[in-house]
Amino acid sequence: MLDLALSPIRQHKPDKLRQLGIMSLNGMFDEMDGAGVLRQAVTELLPGDIAIVSSFGADSVVLLHMVAEVDRTLPVYFLETGKHFPETLAYVETLKRHLGLANVIALHPDPSDVARFDAGGDLWETDPDSCCHIRKTEPLDARVSGLGGWVTGRKRFQTAERGVLPHFELTADDRIKVNPLAYFSDADITAYKLKYGLPEHPLYSKGYKSIGCAPCTSVVAEGEDPRAGRWRGLNKKECGIHFDFNGAIAKPMAAQELNLFKDGKFIADPFRPWVEGDDPAAARYTHIPLPVFLDNRDAVLANPHPLGLLVSPGDKVELARGDLDRFVSIAINFPAFTDGRGYSSARLLVERYGYKGELRAVGDVLHDQISHMRRCGITAFVVRHEPTKKALIEGKLATVDIFYQPVGLTEIPLGTRPFLRRRAVENA
Amino acid sequence: MYRYDEFDAAFVQERTAQFSDQVARRLTGDLNEDQFRPLRLMNGLYLQLHAYMLRIAVPYGTMNARQMRMLAHIARTYDRGYGHFTTRQNIQFNWPKLRDVPRILADLASVEMHSIQTSGNCIRNITTDQFAGAAADEIIDPRPVAEILRQWSSLHPEFSYLPRKFKIAMTGATADRAAIRFHDIGLQATTSKLGEIGWQVWVGGGLGRTPMIGKMISGFVPHEHLLAYLESILRVYNRYGRRDNKFKARIKILVHEEGLDSIRQQVEEEFAHLKGGVLTLPQEELDRITRYFAQPDYELVNQTTVDVAREKIVNPPYGRWLERNLNAHRQPGYVSVTISLKPVGGAPGDATDTQMDAIADLAERYSANELRVSHEQNIVLPHVKVTDLPAVYAALVDQGLADGNAGQITDIICCPGLDFCALANARSIPLAQELTRKFQSPERQAEIGDLKIKISGCINACGHHHVGHIGILGVEKKGTELYQITVGGDATENAAIGDILGHGFVADAVPDAIERLVDTYIARRTSADEPFITAYRRLGKEPFKEALYGNA
Ligand code: SF4
Ligand code: SF4
Repeated sequence: MLDLALSPIRQHKPDKLRQLGIMSLNGMFDEMDGAGVLRQAVTELLPGDIAIVSSFGADSVVLLHMVAEVDRTLPVYFLETGKHFPETLAYVETLKRHLGLANVIALHPDPSDVARFDAGGDLWETDPDSCCHIRKTEPLDARVSGLGGWVTGRKRFQTAERGVLPHFELTADDRIKVNPLAYFSDADITAYKLKYGLPEHPLYSKGYKSIGCAPCTSVVAEGEDPRAGRWRGLNKKECGIHFDFNGAIAKPMAAQELNLFKDGKFIADPFRPWVEGDDPAAARYTHIPLPVFLDNRDAVLANPHPLGLLVSPGDKVELARGDLDRFVSIAINFPAFTDGRGYSSARLLVERYGYKGELRAVGDVLHDQISHMRRCGITAFVVRHEPTKKALIEGKLATVDIFYQPVGLTEIPLGTRPFLRRRAVENA
Repeated sequence: MYRYDEFDAAFVQERTAQFSDQVARRLTGDLNEDQFRPLRLMNGLYLQLHAYMLRIAVPYGTMNARQMRMLAHIARTYDRGYGHFTTRQNIQFNWPKLRDVPRILADLASVEMHSIQTSGNCIRNITTDQFAGAAADEIIDPRPVAEILRQWSSLHPEFSYLPRKFKIAMTGATADRAAIRFHDIGLQATTSKLGEIGWQVWVGGGLGRTPMIGKMISGFVPHEHLLAYLESILRVYNRYGRRDNKFKARIKILVHEEGLDSIRQQVEEEFAHLKGGVLTLPQEELDRITRYFAQPDYELVNQTTVDVAREKIVNPPYGRWLERNLNAHRQPGYVSVTISLKPVGGAPGDATDTQMDAIADLAERYSANELRVSHEQNIVLPHVKVTDLPAVYAALVDQGLADGNAGQITDIICCPGLDFCALANARSIPLAQELTRKFQSPERQAEIGDLKIKISGCINACGHHHVGHIGILGVEKKGTELYQITVGGDATENAAIGDILGHGFVADAVPDAIERLVDTYIARRTSADEPFITAYRRLGKEPFKEALYGNA
């Protein structure tokens, strides 16, 4: 087996020719020839230098079947988070047997991390991002981050943003993503399973459509279409999405100080600040400044990754009004708390342009402005000021909870009495 | 007048609790002064030259006796026995201690008062005609709408961090006694072609460093859409008002730089979205609020006039008081009485705790329990029976409040100046005192007639010097206090900004300079019926310039 630890550290050097070379591969395969794509990747493109990661979830069997067709001895990584359903663990064994997979490698979290951060085993509940981080990101990263590429199970029909998913992609840091199932629809998956008589995940028949760790899947499975809501709740409800191991090896979580206050508690922020020079076409988990977005609109719209939008004072939100759905989060920047332009921006986004994603305040976010921000539709707060954090944690925000003026979407409807007035809705 | 319901009471209580918490955090250091400043300002708490100053809102200048007594109580208990009524129809206390402020606010809340938004870059206390609801020349009583605006603007979450402070003034009468053309927004009641009553909206007026007369942005906005229209203006201002330079941050600069037409277009665009939405004012609500401002139960009285000429002979001080300090009332047999806070040698606008208590008694007994604070820093008893005038006058004499000088040269508007204000360049109160002494003779004042002197200690123009018939501005030049004199300003519907005629004067030279202006006017007026301001408009600058500086 390849010694991963010795893999060369890659240079971050996007190379135009290489990019063209990769892109040209995209025309070579029949849309449905996933196995052909996979074979090309593991034998020609990156022999010994590519990772296949599988969640052994409801749809994983299709890709794994292709792996078996190409080479049963290829390493397949499975994230043994310690939080899986017993059914999933049983399914791993079933598939190994059924497909003859000879090299399934379970990646376990570092026991000292678990002892340190999740001694009680309930971190997923309070801080799923960190839970995913120690149970998925870290173990996987340690093994595969030095590799030249990885194979994903992404399908272009999964979400609107993936409408342009190709077979081969080159990432900003010069690695290759391979998407053998790029052209598969859900119906194709079902047909494929049927055609080859592949065993289903035991929970699939019980109504689970998207299966990850046990504690988090139950939440996800309740919705009618789990993927439709995948990026919606972002930080809490949909575990594992930052680490989309069907997709990218994402590393959304920077140094984990819990600065994002949302849904009544501080959680790790999957977003990192936009840095001058970031590539709008490839950036992920960052808030693209509105002017940058406007200048690179096509690239951003084609960018398949979760992205946010940064609205600073002076920015005209109306210029992006048709594209707001593209962003899972919009950050309203308050460079100084005395600059109140963000309140108008927030109200326009929510009340006039119907933005429904996460709306967060960033910058000089302080105790005494938070209730105003909430009323203007802001739901999340990136807080650095310690006394403010403390007040939020302790639920001791000094606020006036009855209002004189109809502001925001939850305020009293027209014509009802008393005019102008309402009490605050419970705002976590 | 308006009475708090449970909602208003709860609102003020929560706000008081919130500010108490903020003060506590300031005292423990959780809030630094930078963070505390905007919060205390939004609660009317300034840091002045010597101490904190607390400014308390008197919404649209209206109060009852109980409230006035509470102000007396605060003056007595937490301050040095007096309060200062301001040109914003507010009252300021100059010596409260920070730790007492939550208690003061709680006391105020118990009489339905507060200090919310008397400062800070938010929508300030709305001001109006001090004779509102009583004046004979009124189209409508502006107070119900003013109350609705007070509610709409209180802790408005979108407009609490504007580029700069924002002042709205309104008048329901044809004569403008609220200086609406010198406010960020001025509202003038008007009647549409169809006979419907609504509002003419003026925008971008203001004093300060760059005085400007407001411009009419809309000729008619009906009541029901007024809030949506104002929210539209505020939103445009909040988004596009300048924030790079504090001196250019008022809406007047935005209107001036972008042009009225462009601002109007932006406001109209916003208004097109907001009109007919949640801010539409239901008629029932307007009616409901209006009921709070129902006329008092007037008595039908036989005597409807006073023989001022006779009284002037029998009792000259009383006669002069009758002649100067009464305003025509819509109800026969009633008048509005101005209580002058401008005694000779006094600090304009100051009242002691005992005087406030006495004024409260008068309001209760003789004025349907109502009081007004005027932007001219006087107090008004709005509904006084003509037959009660002698009794009212006698009580005022006891309190040293019976000066019959309303609108005369000693009825000076004056800001606190260097005696209190950290921003001041020069003293203003001592100068006002000096002027009142110089012109104290009643005969001399009567001879001069209507003449408004307004004094500001610095360019911020809290004393409205730009719109004084004679304005005096404290400036500092190479370490000496100088006073710049302007002439010809007018705050009324004939809005004008005073002209600077030449260099400034040292303090000692000011009273004589004013006297020369006055003498020039008297010498050149067509008759005793031609007021100073009219004569100035007719004669132009030259004679007055010559009076000040000679014809060198
Ligand atoms: S999916 Fe849930 S349980 Fe699994 S690692 Fe993430 S947070 Fe933890
Ligand atoms: S005009 Fe100037 S000196 Fe007078 S009160 Fe205002 S800021 Fe102070």
